[in-house]
Amino acid sequence: MSKDSHDLPGAGRRNFLKGVTLTGAAALTPAMMAQAQPPEKPAARPVPLPNIAAETLPPRADPVIQTSSGGDFMVDVLKTLDIDYLAMNCASSFRGLHEAVVNYGMNVKPEILTCPHEEIAVSMAQGYAKIEGKPMAVICHGTVGLQHASMALYNAWCDRVPVYLMIGNILDGDKRAPGVEWTHSAIDPAALVRDFVKWDDQPASLQHFAESAVRAYKVATTPPMAPVLLSLDAELQENPIPDRDRLRIPKYTKVVPPVADSGAIAEAAKLLVAAQNPVLICDRMARTPAGMARLVELAEALQCAVVDQGGRMNFPSRHPLNQTFRRLALVGEADVILAIEMNDLFGAVNAFSDRIERSTRPLYKPGTKIVTLGSRDLYLKANYQDFGRFNEVDLAIAGDGEASLPALTEAVKRLVSADHKSAFEARGKRLGQAHLATREKSKSDATIGWDASPISVARMCMELYAQIKDEDWSLVGSSINLSWPKRLWNMDRSYRWNGYSGGAGIGYNAPASAGAALANKGHGRISVAIQGDGDLMFVPSTLWTAAHHRIPILYMVQNNRAYHQEYMYLHAMAARHGRGISNAHIGTTLTNPNVDYAAMAKSFGVYAEGPITDPKDLGPAIKRAVAVLKRGEPALIDVITDPR
Amino acid sequence: MNFINGALAIALLVLCNAAWSQSAPAGDAADGKRAYLADGCFICHGRAGQGGAMNYPAPPLAQMGYSAEVLKTILRAGLNDMPAYAEAVLSDKDVADIHAYLRVLPGRRDAKDIPLLNQ
Ligand SMILES: Cc1ncc(C[n+]2csc(CCOP(=O)(O)OP(=O)(O)O)c2C)c(N)n1
Ligand SMILES: [Mg+2]
Repeated sequence: MSKDSHDLPGAGRRNFLKGVTLTGAAALTPAMMAQAQPPEKPAARPVPLPNIAAETLPPRADPVIQTSSGGDFMVDVLKTLDIDYLAMNCASSFRGLHEAVVNYGMNVKPEILTCPHEEIAVSMAQGYAKIEGKPMAVICHGTVGLQHASMALYNAWCDRVPVYLMIGNILDGDKRAPGVEWTHSAIDPAALVRDFVKWDDQPASLQHFAESAVRAYKVATTPPMAPVLLSLDAELQENPIPDRDRLRIPKYTKVVPPVADSGAIAEAAKLLVAAQNPVLICDRMARTPAGMARLVELAEALQCAVVDQGGRMNFPSRHPLNQTFRRLALVGEADVILAIEMNDLFGAVNAFSDRIERSTRPLYKPGTKIVTLGSRDLYLKANYQDFGRFNEVDLAIAGDGEASLPALTEAVKRLVSADHKSAFEARGKRLGQAHLATREKSKSDATIGWDASPISVARMCMELYAQIKDEDWSLVGSSINLSWPKRLWNMDRSYRWNGYSGGAGIGYNAPASAGAALANKGHGRISVAIQGDGDLMFVPSTLWTAAHHRIPILYMVQNNRAYHQEYMYLHAMAARHGRGISNAHIGTTLTNPNVDYAAMAKSFGVYAEGPITDPKDLGPAIKRAVAVLKRGEPALIDVITDPR
Repeated sequence: MNFINGALAIALLVLCNAAWSQSAPAGDAADGKRAYLADGCFICHGRAGQGGAMNYPAPPLAQMGYSAEVLKTILRAGLNDMPAYAEAVLSDKDVADIHAYLRVLPGRRDAKDIPLLNQ
């Protein structure tokens, strides 16, 4: 509206002179007077005088001051939902609510986070929710803002993370200013993203808003969790409240997450206890700090292998039963596999070859029993294929994984006899030895190229760990297919790791890490993210938001000067076609010119060092950056690394 | 050649490694370094031959245990997601040179000597 339209021809309804309502020039502010003064030199050609009366005077009966606004009521509603932050890029379609948040809500609960791109706002909300266990609100322009936000929303959808998204819209064509207010309005703005939000609404009244706002929160936070969207009419936000006494804010009651059926739990427990080689595989299981402890209890009761696919921080990295890096072998030996909150079960238990003839084969033996436990089967949509390939299973148990684990563990414990116990102990010992051997192998792998420049990714990770391991740290983001922290760091708390993007939409890592770091800040933790250069290039202005809101996060830029994943794909394609294997850098690398990420970060007000090419310089640089974090500010270190 | 057959063929070759390595042409490590970088081996296996990660881990190659002949067979056939490299894009001499380079790369050290790996 006004902000965007004052320089466009024909944008009359809300141009700046609209303020001149009662007494003409007497009501002009000094700034307006300055703008209204005639130019000192006469124009070369006479310009026809505007018809001031026709262009600026409102209808006589137009009220000019209001003492209440729909936005205030919306703030009242949002405050009942205990929402701490509202991430946004400002836009006139929600200026009513924006102003109410700032002046009526006093910019607390929610507090505004200024984001230079809507994708940043939504990704911050995604990272935040996984650490904090509750959604952040986001608001954006209903059309163009939502278009920018859409990829991040898709990531959150795939990652089963609640995002409380609102947009502004102007429903009544009779109320829209000519020009940009028409291009920024839609009859059904949510249609753009309806495939990847769980629920949406466009309330027609304030009472309708109150009910839909509470419902939206409830829907978003009920497993399987997902983003929701409320489209807010500008007139509803901006205009006086006609009937405040009539309005009622319904009470929010959390939905108790569904616990699996007791008969099915008993059957799963029987299979697990009778198995020679049971394997637990999980992905987005731990949704609260309790999740990890529950999985540890089940695994220890069975002394069985756990493969953590890393969608959440499910299992301690140094637990002897953690067999994450032995998945292929373990799935091959398994007689019972329990897959908990797995999205891509097929990918976890099958091998796939990306060759001219694409092929798959099961990793598991014929006869292996596969049991699934999770809320995934309860809800999915058709268009986007994020549900993955269908895998047949023997027992599919619907229920929230984390909520159902205690019952399953109890059922297992009841079935474990003394005979079982000694066999289980022997199994646990074998697994513990395999775990240690895997770790020793990882250490040995990490020594190769230890002093090399470009710096090896293993060296960068271990230099970072050395500087944070005695702090209360959280790894909130990672570059693609990075394994070193999980192989060699001691990740022993629920917040040591914050999962992946979900939809593999690049441009997630930098802002989601900032959102997670903001949540960690509230708990006195420092946050670090290993940051791909390509990812950062999508959303570099995240750094400004981190500086502006004083978010303590250290970005270690894994600067391989490439969209390296795609570089590898292109190289493979060229080899397959038997030509041009030395041309795969074209369109996949970020060189000529090289980007100076430290200079970029500094320009956004972020402490930065680099580019660092000598591994010996890393330790001291990280130490200085950690000191910056401890005073509550962000930092970035640009590390020139080998590819992966 | 599919995934399984590829792996079997390679396994057989590794068994025959000793006999076949006699016939392999001696490579030039300096030329091998140039080829390793120019032809993009490093993009998956790292400049120090430390390995890397695509969708699968790409194995370390430094101090390669295979003979040049086995390396050539793997390269010509491809392995898992690694594509095959035809003679047209990677000559026999390139393969021999790359092999020589991988043999002289320093490779592993004792992890116990590196305090950062024992935290
Ligand atoms: C929005 C979006 N655009 C493009 C891609 C394709 N893509 C996948 S990985 C990748 C490279 C990311 O670069 P970087 O973060 O530097 O990680 P690197 O691969 O170099 O380790 C790209 C462009 C994507 N997944 N999402
Ligand atoms: Mg990169």
